[in-house]
Amino acid sequence: MTELARTPLFDAHIELGGKMVPFAGFAMPIQYPDGALTEYNAVRQGHAGLFDISHMGQVRVSGDEALAFLQYATTNDVSKLSDGQVQYSALLNERGSFIDDITTYKINDTEYYLCINAANRHKDVAHLLAVAAAFDVRVADESDDTTLLALQGATAQRTLQPLVDTDLDDIGYYRFAEVKLSGMPAIISRTGYTGEDGFELYLPNQAALDVWQQLLAGGAVPIGLAARDMLRTEMGYALYGHEISDTVTPVEASLMWITKLDKDDFIGKEAVAERKELGPQKKLIALKLTERGIPREHYPVLVNGEASGEVTSGMHSPMAGGVALAYIKPEHAAKGSLAVEIRGKPVAAERTGTPFVRSNVRK
Amino acid sequence: MTIPTDLKYTREHEWVRQEGDTATLGISDHAQEALGDIVFVELPEIGRVVAPGDAFAVVESVKAVSDIYAPVGGEIIEVNAELESTPEKVNTDPYGAGWIAKVKTSGGSVELLDEAEYTTFLEE
Repeated sequence: MTELARTPLFDAHIELGGKMVPFAGFAMPIQYPDGALTEYNAVRQGHAGLFDISHMGQVRVSGDEALAFLQYATTNDVSKLSDGQVQYSALLNERGSFIDDITTYKINDTEYYLCINAANRHKDVAHLLAVAAAFDVRVADESDDTTLLALQGATAQRTLQPLVDTDLDDIGYYRFAEVKLSGMPAIISRTGYTGEDGFELYLPNQAALDVWQQLLAGGAVPIGLAARDMLRTEMGYALYGHEISDTVTPVEASLMWITKLDKDDFIGKEAVAERKELGPQKKLIALKLTERGIPREHYPVLVNGEASGEVTSGMHSPMAGGVALAYIKPEHAAKGSLAVEIRGKPVAAERTGTPFVRSNVRK
Repeated sequence: MTIPTDLKYTREHEWVRQEGDTATLGISDHAQEALGDIVFVELPEIGRVVAPGDAFAVVESVKAVSDIYAPVGGEIIEVNAELESTPEKVNTDPYGAGWIAKVKTSGGSVELLDEAEYTTFLEE
């Protein structure tokens, strides 16, 4: 086994008693001594949680053809972005299936910043570099130099405000600002993966420990991967390797809202258009158990007693009970009695919408 | 971490309290701590007969699903139904309010460790 990479906050996690586990090639805290439920509650119940998500990757795209390049390489319409705006998007292959899902930050007409998944970083960068060869752009992988923190929860803004001279009220949902944090240039966006108000902070590694400690001193609670996944799943947000992968297209994953078939050519466009015409090969649904049980990833989903698909993300939500995202056969999507097979027994479920619990993002 | 001296333990981290022909079963403090926040317990049916080593219950934490194995054989005569609504009792009181089931023992057990042996086993 290759040695696990460490974020600049590895020692800080150990000092806090974080239980470190391998995740996307990094040693990351799955939880701290108070446990995942306490951490979850800190974020959902009116406080603020602090997440080290430095395993994620960052790519800077600059040059005269930056816009044309990103229009061709990503699914969403980058021309709709104004300076200081963030957009959820995806990289597809020629078959129309996912290389990754990403966020695109527009700094200005000739400079953009992408946030990509840790597990896909090298694949994404290789792909972007290959595509970039035909454009007048520079693609720079800044992941190793960048610390990414998320501060999420009702008191996130109040906790972060004393550290910056920008009025955070000026940063709207899916907007960002370039600021100074701990004397170093940083990006703060009002984005996140929890369904609570909050921010993501891109910092140079040298500033990581200082900002981390200042936010903890301000009352933020450190949050591990387990609580992060609970918060993510409750919102019904897709996660690469679960709801999305290189075997599904945006048609299956219900992500046509980030896939703009009406813009000029982009990688995967033709295949997605064809898939849309033919119909999805499977359908992503949200379900809630109506009997006791916890639906877990890979558990079979039954429609009218017949095997139809499987759970891609599932959990016990303290607020909503047993909830899951699952793929089922498209012909089963419209109607039928639903169940999740748990240890060989069908447990009744019903279709529901997402998010599974109320979102408090500040739109 | 506590390891009461009046109980026996298995290498799978269950405990058993034998009183006459009745055995009360649960999971050890070490087990609950390793599992983390327990959010679901699947209890066995009363009347079910289990052999030593049979999976008789399931404990689920936020991230993991764990089978619980019967340290002793016999008939399930009582289950801790409280755990259906308050599974966290397995975390907060693993040897008391967090007990899982009672068995009327009728022969056989897996290898059982006393407190000293279990302590040594955990240190290995």
